[in-house]
Amino acid sequence: MELKLMGLTKEFKDVTAVEDVSCRLTAGVYGLLGVNGAGKTTLMRMLCTLLKPTRGRITWNGKDILEMDRAYRKLLGYLPQDFGYYPDFSVYDYLMYIASIKGLRPAAAKQRAELLLNQVGMEKAKRKKMKALSGGMKRRVGIAQAMLGDPKILILDEPTAGLDPNERIRFRNLISELSEKRLVLLSTHIVSDIEYIANEILLMDGGKIRASGTSEELLFSMPDRVWSVPVSKDSVGAYMKKYKVSNVKTIPGGARLRILSSDPPSGHAVPETATLEDLFLDYFGERTDGQNDEI
Amino acid sequence: MTKYELKKIFSRTGGRAALVLLFVLVGITCLFAANLSWIDENGEPKTGPAAIALLREERKAWAGELNEERLRAVIAENRRIRETPEARSENVREENIAFGWQQGIQEIRDLLNCSYAEGFRSHDYYRADSLTEEDAASFYENRVRLLKEWLADEAKDQFSEREKAYLIRQYETIPTPFSYDYVTGWRQLFEYAPTVVMLTMLVLGYLTAGIFSCEFAWKSDAVFFASIYGRDKAVLAKLKAGFLMVSFVYFAAFLLYTAVVLAYLGADGWNLAVQVDWGSWKCFYHITVWQKYLLILLGGYLGCLFLAFLSMLVSARTRSAVPAVMVPVLLIFLPSFLSNIDSLVVSRIISLLPDQLLQIGKALDYFQLYLIGTKVLGAVPILLTVYTVLTAVLPPVIYREYRRKEIS
Repeated sequence: MELKLMGLTKEFKDVTAVEDVSCRLTAGVYGLLGVNGAGKTTLMRMLCTLLKPTRGRITWNGKDILEMDRAYRKLLGYLPQDFGYYPDFSVYDYLMYIASIKGLRPAAAKQRAELLLNQVGMEKAKRKKMKALSGGMKRRVGIAQAMLGDPKILILDEPTAGLDPNERIRFRNLISELSEKRLVLLSTHIVSDIEYIANEILLMDGGKIRASGTSEELLFSMPDRVWSVPVSKDSVGAYMKKYKVSNVKTIPGGARLRILSSDPPSGHAVPETATLEDLFLDYFGERTDGQNDEI
Repeated sequence: MTKYELKKIFSRTGGRAALVLLFVLVGITCLFAANLSWIDENGEPKTGPAAIALLREERKAWAGELNEERLRAVIAENRRIRETPEARSENVREENIAFGWQQGIQEIRDLLNCSYAEGFRSHDYYRADSLTEEDAASFYENRVRLLKEWLADEAKDQFSEREKAYLIRQYETIPTPFSYDYVTGWRQLFEYAPTVVMLTMLVLGYLTAGIFSCEFAWKSDAVFFASIYGRDKAVLAKLKAGFLMVSFVYFAAFLLYTAVVLAYLGADGWNLAVQVDWGSWKCFYHITVWQKYLLILLGGYLGCLFLAFLSMLVSARTRSAVPAVMVPVLLIFLPSFLSNIDSLVVSRIISLLPDQLLQIGKALDYFQLYLIGTKVLGAVPILLTVYTVLTAVLPPVIYREYRRKEIS
């Protein structure tokens, strides 16, 4: 089980969305972390054969996935970021239709749909129309449809976007459950999503994979260190301008800042253990477009 | 898969409403088509099945070969009625009473007006009233004579010599005498058939426009194309759903219309030459009423199928239902505007546009000829051949177009 990306590039007119991406993915959960516009969705769409690379190729066990065509898509389960559905279909009908285009025979489709509905906690809502579902329920149906063909490769694009914290935790656990003996690629800009479930993290920015590895490896190789610095109220602004600040905590007489810097920002700075949130800020701090709110 | 594709169309309120609207409109058209009256002995118009039965009975009394003897009898009967005080009266009720006596021969009287007209393109409703029994002998000759005169004079630049010879040959070789029977049911059916076909097409255009674009509109495209059959069988299922829907809806609407109108007005005269209906007196095709019906039925189906596939192609290409809905509407209504252009070339092009298939009953009466090699053909066989080929070509084009879609 090996998905190999070799010099993968996708250009749209004068924009290069993905540039020269190469990596090797095997069984396990991969977290693709990056800000909006980093190229995550374009990369995932190439992995799902929805887009053809401008250059480079993707192989599955040595075979080009575009040449494999149907045989490759048989291995694939995909939950897109903008998960669309047929609004007037019931949940059950929706799954049965997706099962049919995934090549499941009606009897097997019925069995699989029932099983997955149970697994994602939607068995009681199976007669409800898709348009009547809450955001979290739709996402659960989304993961169920992705799992219908019992895929070897599960690609989930921002699966927890827009979910409340409870739903997000539930969803994470569900993905964890489903990840056994598969290759799961999960894209997100929400650090906590992959902090708990990803075996390996790919940091994507500007269409390129900037770094990859386990969270420990990535944290170890972080360019900056993390410092906790007590500062007066008046100097908070100056520190914010000068350093990457991952947290501001008000304390009596001032604030305690969590600063990313290669050198101690002041004589009172105390070194702290870095987290994935710090790592995210270190790589994408200047270009998060307010996404830190969701971290 | 096909079942779910159909479900996608009809699970929408708009889809179901369009279908209901179509059948309501077909019902209303049936009412128009069946809206015939019979005038009783007091000059009062009567409607309803009993009145239709009486009208039918009176006309069937004149059924049979339309030979000189029968024509003489019709002319004599018409003159007898015209000479009655009721017919000469200026009182409306009296006139109605006289018209009531004329109902049985009315259809043959209309044919007399056509045959004895002053010119090929003129029509005088009262021409039959000035005929004598001696005129009956030239009934069929007149048809050919008027055509020849028209081709030699008014239409001399409109047709080539080969085309003129073709028209004259068609007129001369049609078997005569015609047979006559009560043919009112079919005439009414043909009158409103284009309305039914066009209404059906407009509704079908709306329904088919979303078959391919819905995946993009609902953003379900990514899951669809990433599935195993998303680039082959599922696309074929969409085509199949479109084909089945067009076929089912079209035949349901048209056959319902046929059944209602003919059940009410009667299907007598199915095997007569179409020329027996005075509206088709000039028709140069040698076909029967039943064959004309089949041409209308199948021509309409072919037109609907072609326009629906075209709409699907636009929908697949543009990823939007709006231009896809517009295409059949434009192709149906644009020729009406173009027909104002006084040009032979434009008129010949217009006669081959797909809207003609939707009103093929009318196309049968038009004098549009085309020289293919050395053979002269009317517009109808060309329409049927060309659009059968185009309709067969469109599905593979749609399939290729859609299965290659990239989702960015």
